[in-house]
Amino acid sequence: MEKAIIALAAALSIGVTAIATSIAQRAIGSAGVGALAEKPELAGSIIILVAIPETLVILGFAVAAIMLMN
Amino acid sequence: MIVEMSRVEIIGLKKHLERLIPFLHTSGYLQIDDIREMPDVIAQPFTPTMKMKEDREEVDLLIANINGLIESFSAYHKETDDTGGQIDDITFYGIKDSVAGITAKVQYFNMRKKTLQDELISHSKYNEILKVISPFMPESTKKSGNATIRALVHSSQTREMALLANQLKLLTHGKFEMITVKVGEETDAVIGIFPLDLISQVEGFMKNEKIVKLVLPEEYTYLSTDEALQHIEKKVELDHKELDNIDESMHRFAIKWLPVLKTWQLICKDKVDEIEAFLKIGETEFTFVIFGWIPKEDVRFLKKALRKEFSRDISLSEIDIPKELQSRIPVKTRNPAVVEPYEHFVKMRATPSYSDIDPSMLVAVFMPIFFGMMAGDVGYGIVMFIIALLMGKKANKGLIADIMKFLRLGAIWTMVFGVLFGEYFGNLGEKLGIKPLWLNRSEPESIFPLLTMAIAVGVGHIMFGLLIGAWNAFVHKSRSHLLERVGMFVGILGLLFLAGSLSSYLPGGFTTLGWIVFAIGLIAVVVSIGTTGIFLGPIEFVGLIGSILSYLRIAALGLASVYLAKVANDLGGMVSSAIAGVLMAVIIHALNIVMGILSPTIQSLRLQYVEFFRRFYEGGHSPFTPFKKRIHTKTRIVKIS
Repeated sequence: MEKAIIALAAALSIGVTAIATSIAQRAIGSAGVGALAEKPELAGSIIILVAIPETLVILGFAVAAIMLMN
Repeated sequence: MIVEMSRVEIIGLKKHLERLIPFLHTSGYLQIDDIREMPDVIAQPFTPTMKMKEDREEVDLLIANINGLIESFSAYHKETDDTGGQIDDITFYGIKDSVAGITAKVQYFNMRKKTLQDELISHSKYNEILKVISPFMPESTKKSGNATIRALVHSSQTREMALLANQLKLLTHGKFEMITVKVGEETDAVIGIFPLDLISQVEGFMKNEKIVKLVLPEEYTYLSTDEALQHIEKKVELDHKELDNIDESMHRFAIKWLPVLKTWQLICKDKVDEIEAFLKIGETEFTFVIFGWIPKEDVRFLKKALRKEFSRDISLSEIDIPKELQSRIPVKTRNPAVVEPYEHFVKMRATPSYSDIDPSMLVAVFMPIFFGMMAGDVGYGIVMFIIALLMGKKANKGLIADIMKFLRLGAIWTMVFGVLFGEYFGNLGEKLGIKPLWLNRSEPESIFPLLTMAIAVGVGHIMFGLLIGAWNAFVHKSRSHLLERVGMFVGILGLLFLAGSLSSYLPGGFTTLGWIVFAIGLIAVVVSIGTTGIFLGPIEFVGLIGSILSYLRIAALGLASVYLAKVANDLGGMVSSAIAGVLMAVIIHALNIVMGILSPTIQSLRLQYVEFFRRFYEGGHSPFTPFKKRIHTKTRIVKIS
């Protein structure tokens, strides 16, 4: 039972952060594409902006990994 | 590597100017500064002559015409950057006349095409209606001396039409015959046949009753339905043939003229650049002065060329770069060919500052390694290498070509890490008895060393970035930046001591040392920020730890890739049919390879942009754009008229 709860917690930590990341990326991505159409030279900045929320899911992954390792 | 630049001043008599500007344009060494934007210059900006203004207008108009033609032709032939045609002995008027000739022909073809298309639309409608009613036409319509009248009416009006037909019969003493044929869901065609001599009476009657006749084009008006149908069908066929001929002619035209037009476009743009160059220079009553930027190593070449062409009539001298112009020094980078794609990746973020370190070489080292760490599979590496080679042959320049060059190197690192992780299309190598040299990523006990590796890579990468940042700050004599970066470096060192002693890798005494070193680093960061440092300093540190944890993506993506590969092999093995099993495994592996190219590329680029560059890279200077011809010609275009 304890193992199942740990597995569920690990899944939630990845799943919820992945959803949060995708929500953030959806907003940034659509605005970024609009900006790129106007100014293609912004490509570098937009890649950064789109990639920033991914840290959320990476931290979720770290938490899940720690839980599973313990 | 950032090339050292010199600021130069060129002075001479105005009478040489008309020869000097094309000379500088052809030599392509100098980036001319706009004198109107120079804070340290007091010379009067050059006043363009009326002829220059007229020339400019004329060239602009010609460019617009050429652009229009290129757009028209690109519908018939794939547009490329290829140039062609005669470029060595062509005059501006030669180009203008040729463009006018081509424009006239293209306009004729376009107008004719439009006419034919309109005609086809109307003829198709007549054709459709006549085809429906033709089988119902009585023999009497073919008799000479009989006239036919056609009308389209709404289905609800058919009854009224029958009453009208009776009236017409009375009017023509029983010589009027009427047929109704359904030609659409709600449309009926009404055909009346009567003696030709009664035509004015019948037409007058129909006009009074407001019945709209189906009027065929003039040339078919007096033909019988069958004859009209035959003629219209023939006409439609001829129109289609003519349209095909026009398309064929336009296609031939496009093949012949597109490269030539591209050449003329470049020649005209060069002319515009020359006219604009005049506006950037300064003048007195008899002399002119040009300020500009040139790579230091090229100064002697330009000096020599000017001496040869103008003897001592024009002087070029290197001048000091005032403080207010330091931020405007254009940046030229030079790197070995293998680093060039990464130079473009760096410039996608921002052109480096003149006094910065050009990080292209560092990106060229780290980006493919990070890619390999994430993908890490010998089989995938081989496939990626082949894809990169094949696609690299098709794409010679641009972003795709750069990505393919990166992918080639990334694929080699993928194979290297694949050997370390013992991955050959996932766990296929393991099934064949091939052992990993370092660790098997698919085993649960490998997760900890994998995470440790990712964190260690992050710590190393960020500390390296901080060292470069500290050096940059030292060169720029920026005390606060130096203190901040050194403080962060020391703080991480303290955290490493702490982590080492707490995990028993280092002796217990390192715990206290770790706290002391960390505190020194934190205080340095707090002091560097200033009065708000007490709040912002710790936040900066938390951000720094977040940046290090961000490198966990190396492990995360690697795990995702290895598990998907494992799923491909296991699922393939479960299917009873060998062919279906192999097919399923190939499909999933192909998907994994595509994802394995996209994700690690973006993620490794992100690690450079966000985590690494943030420690030292500012960028934001403008790139060096020399006054250089787009196309080298010996045209007489220098003088328009």
